[in-house]
Amino acid sequence: MHAHPPSSPSAPEAVVIHDLHKRFGSLEVLKGVSLTAHEGDVLTLIGSSGSGKSTLLRCVNMLEVPDSGRVVIGGEEIRLKTKGGRTVPADPKQVDRVRTRLGMVFQSFNLWSHMTILQNVIEAPVHVLGVPKAEAAERARMLLDKVGILAKAESYPVELSGGQQQRAAIARALAMQPKVMLFDEPTSALDPELVGEVLGVIRQLAEEGNTMIVVTHEMGFAREVSSEVVFLHQGRIEERGRPGKVLVDPESERVRQFLSRHLSGGA
Amino acid sequence: MDWELMWDSVPALLAAVPLTLQLVALALLLGLGMAALAAWARLSGHAVAAGAASAYVFVFRGTPLLVQIFLIYYGLSQFEAVRASLFWPLLREPYWCAILALMLNTGAYQSEIIRGAILSVPQGQVEAARACGMSRLLLFRRIVLPVAVRQALPAYGNEIILMVKASSLASTITLLEITGVARRIISQTYAVFEIFIVAGILYLLINFAAARLIRWAEWRMTPHLRARV
Repeated sequence: MHAHPPSSPSAPEAVVIHDLHKRFGSLEVLKGVSLTAHEGDVLTLIGSSGSGKSTLLRCVNMLEVPDSGRVVIGGEEIRLKTKGGRTVPADPKQVDRVRTRLGMVFQSFNLWSHMTILQNVIEAPVHVLGVPKAEAAERARMLLDKVGILAKAESYPVELSGGQQQRAAIARALAMQPKVMLFDEPTSALDPELVGEVLGVIRQLAEEGNTMIVVTHEMGFAREVSSEVVFLHQGRIEERGRPGKVLVDPESERVRQFLSRHLSGGA
Repeated sequence: MDWELMWDSVPALLAAVPLTLQLVALALLLGLGMAALAAWARLSGHAVAAGAASAYVFVFRGTPLLVQIFLIYYGLSQFEAVRASLFWPLLREPYWCAILALMLNTGAYQSEIIRGAILSVPQGQVEAARACGMSRLLLFRRIVLPVAVRQALPAYGNEIILMVKASSLASTITLLEITGVARRIISQTYAVFEIFIVAGILYLLINFAAARLIRWAEWRMTPHLRARV
């Protein structure tokens, strides 16, 4: 087992989140969360369901718009404004542009069902970035090969297993050559025997030095790949630090209890 | 059964098929525009637009097509303002009144088909597109529309068939489409049974072709649902 090298404070800041608040109706999901990921960092967000970790991740690429706080991606702050009592992006074009630099992998894969795997992977590079189709396809094949499903390039999502679909979704996100990869519980919808193949791909990406923020329930995996583990509890950061510390000898009693529930099968 | 009379009526009834097809095709096409507008208004979240579209759907889905045809053909001409308007050259023609009524009627139904199809596009697929930085327009064109069209096809096929049958009501305002011609032949021969059977067979054939066409389109557009083993 080898932990990711510690984040070097000298590396540029890839994602900065400052004092984020988000409420759904009367439920306050994020109560002032601040977080920084430097280039090359692998941040894992852990915590019970409802702790706000997925919402926090979704605020990074504005799939959820925070009520207040700041999100800065690669030095560019996403501008927000208030409209009719709600906070919305001031410039939708800015959000679209920033999103092209953030690759997102969802719990339920979300591949486009009417396109083949190859079409899924080249769709955004071709239509959003304007990459020539042949060039995008060549790169897509390389990525599909990397995640081990090149043979499925011409298949439709419905023909693939969950693990294969998730690997295709990872290839789709990588095809945009993002600066940061966001993983939202990438293995939670998978049968236990398929989890390993997906974690293997994500682990490889971590080793290659990609900047990643991962929401996960896989404690063994978190311990192995993270440069920093962030434990959320009821919309606040309860504890954060090196995986060897937070996941082994945490300060917080809550983290301790959480781990005793989750480590039994996982590690 | 007078077989000879039935056989003799075929050429006259066949000659009425183009008018039936014209009514149906024009109404469907114009209705599609109407429906797209109404569906967009209802999904826009704009209160006034959504309200107007809802009212339109409510009225034209909730009243009989025959009543709509009569109101447009006999009703509108009572108003001096209508007769003075630049639409009068169209509105005094039974042909355009029939198309207007059919179009408004099918538009109401089609808008519900479109709205349902768009709402059926899995939210996760939409989110995945947003997450790659697709603009709203690109997302609609590349993800929502293709998925929604495939979703809408079966219901749309149904609507086409209903329209072919509904076009027979145009005969009530003097149009000589299939049913109109059939009624005219009957008024001369009193062979109600024979002539309407021939007319019915013609509708059946048209709808058979329409259903096959839709089935073919569905098959073509859903390779992802045909598991290749």
